[in-house]
Amino acid sequence: MKTTILLFNDLLPVLYWVTVWSYAKAFFRNSALAKKVKTPFLSVTIACHFLYLTLRTLEFGHPPITNIYEILSVLAFTTALAYLAIEYITKVKSTGYFVLIISFFFQLLSTVLIKELANVNPILRSNLLGFHVTSALLGYSAFAISAVYGFLYIMLYHHIKSNRFGVIYDNLPNLEKLEQMATVSVITGFLLLTVAIIVGVVWLPRAFEHYSYFDPKLVGTIVIWLMYGVGLLAKRSIGWQGRKIMVLSIVGFVVTMLSLTVVNVFLSGFHNFY
Amino acid sequence: MNLALIGINHRTAVLDVREKLWFSDTELPGALAQLKNQFFTECFIVSTCNRTELYGIADVQKNPGSADTMVKSAGESLVNLKSASHTVLPHHLYRLFGCKAAGHLFKVASGIDSMVIGDIQILNQIKSHYNLATAEHTVGVFLNRLVQTALRVGKRARTETSISEGAVSVSYAAVELASKIFSNLSEKRALLVGAGETGELASKNLVGRGIASFSIANRTRARAEELVKDLGGTVIDFDQVETALRDIDVLITSVSSPQYILSPDQLRRVMKARSNAPLLVIDIGVPRNVHPDVNKLENVFLHDVDSLSRIVDQNLERRKSAITSVNAIILEELIGMRQWFESLQVSPTISDLREFFESVRSDEVRKHINRFSEQDRELVDLVTKRIVNKLLHLPTTNLKNGNGESAEERHKKIHIIRGLFGLHKNEPIENRLDEDTIP
Repeated sequence: MKTTILLFNDLLPVLYWVTVWSYAKAFFRNSALAKKVKTPFLSVTIACHFLYLTLRTLEFGHPPITNIYEILSVLAFTTALAYLAIEYITKVKSTGYFVLIISFFFQLLSTVLIKELANVNPILRSNLLGFHVTSALLGYSAFAISAVYGFLYIMLYHHIKSNRFGVIYDNLPNLEKLEQMATVSVITGFLLLTVAIIVGVVWLPRAFEHYSYFDPKLVGTIVIWLMYGVGLLAKRSIGWQGRKIMVLSIVGFVVTMLSLTVVNVFLSGFHNFY
Repeated sequence: MNLALIGINHRTAVLDVREKLWFSDTELPGALAQLKNQFFTECFIVSTCNRTELYGIADVQKNPGSADTMVKSAGESLVNLKSASHTVLPHHLYRLFGCKAAGHLFKVASGIDSMVIGDIQILNQIKSHYNLATAEHTVGVFLNRLVQTALRVGKRARTETSISEGAVSVSYAAVELASKIFSNLSEKRALLVGAGETGELASKNLVGRGIASFSIANRTRARAEELVKDLGGTVIDFDQVETALRDIDVLITSVSSPQYILSPDQLRRVMKARSNAPLLVIDIGVPRNVHPDVNKLENVFLHDVDSLSRIVDQNLERRKSAITSVNAIILEELIGMRQWFESLQVSPTISDLREFFESVRSDEVRKHINRFSEQDRELVDLVTKRIVNKLLHLPTTNLKNGNGESAEERHKKIHIIRGLFGLHKNEPIENRLDEDTIP
């Protein structure tokens, strides 16, 4: 099985690249062939990725969440899966390039840098932890997607304002729709993150003897949670619309990514497992 | 294919000349019947503001001479039917034959021969004129196949290429812009300030797209009320416009005024009152009605005639680049049609061949039958018939089924056989051409 896993590990970035490339061809060159094959390519890639993650779990005895590189792979997977769901629900198929390129980079990083830890903290083998982490990662994927749509909104906004009527104008869905998609993603992410935090806080005392509510990761996550919460509230009550909210969704995601990487690497607390 | 085309379009004649040759739906039946009588076994006419084209299958028996002469006469008859021989001169008309005529109809159906590339209307016009000809019984096997294929070409061009995509008029570009900003136009409200063709057209398009509500304001209230009768909607007083803007999503201004009727400050107040909800302002006025600085405001999208023209130009370029793909479709269908026609050629050729052999056989038998006794005469007839059948068996089967040859090869075979045996009775018009013209 280990060789299969290694094979899949190398195969995945290639599959993502082919998928991203067909979405790009469909968007920027209006290729009829690309439009036909892009979603099937995506489905195949996601299926292979799922297989890979399952195989890893079976082989190593724990869900692939023990180090940042495994997490990057899961993030790539959840982002791609979330995007497929978006395509299915909204029937908007043109924005794939912008979302999936993130999946590609995450998976590429994961493939290149992944290493297997000899001793995995037994805590990491727990199912509840798996649930906690999955919820958090799905939440982060949703934030990633909302950032992409926020970015697309701002790009289209500027194009229309400055009379640029090229491929972007032709092929992107309308502003209102982009804003809607970004908002739905933010709300979804927020809910998922809430679940993750609750599970984490409830579970905390049981798992650790020396826990602290001031662990950097916890603090970082609460900050993110508050940020998105305030943003959503502002949209509802003050009626913040359009660009302001979209910029917020991008900022939110950047902060989230920083928290995931920088905080983990430079600051340590009980939440550090690697 | 005995297909011939005589026509006039926007490339060969100006509107003044073209409209002399325009046939209304009431005039067409008579014209079709007369032309069919004189020249064709089948015919049909397409007549629009940009073209009048007569497609017909030449009746070789009625017109044994040169194909070109026949078609020229048909053209003259067509012109005389409208008593237009003083205005519509020979150089205004083009003539095409066979595959070129078929290809031309396909070009027309796909919209690449129209004044505005990718024109959708022409397909419906062809269909309705074809139905008219069918009702008049001037359409038969060939034209049926031709028009059905042309309609398919038109449909394929529209679905498989971008030949009809994007707004190509300023008024449509305005609506396209609205649908790039707003998700659901049926939940939005529009306001037209002023009057004028482009503004009214854009408003009509918005109403056509199902905009939720529509109002009109004009300095002269009476004018607004007049427009409301035409476009629907409600009237608003001119001085109420700024207040009305708080609930409007799309504003179209088309006022003739030397000064701006809306300033950045006014719009700033308006945007504040509507919590910055997006507002599309289309300024059609020349000189402009809305101060350009309004575009600097958050969530206000200000566009004038220039930017709308830019959208149109971009879309026209895109349509032009689709022409190659459309031509590929046309070629594909032409080849298919040619193959169908070739398959039809086989039967007449075989029957002509049999007829020829039979005429030789019966001739010779008749000449020499008196040398045979009474009892033997029947036998002679039988034996000679058997000889002919045996001789023809292989060539007939060969022609009918072929040995996996291409349509081109079969066409050559038919041509050779006709040439070798002098079988010219049902020969296609293309083999008798002395010239053809391309507009």
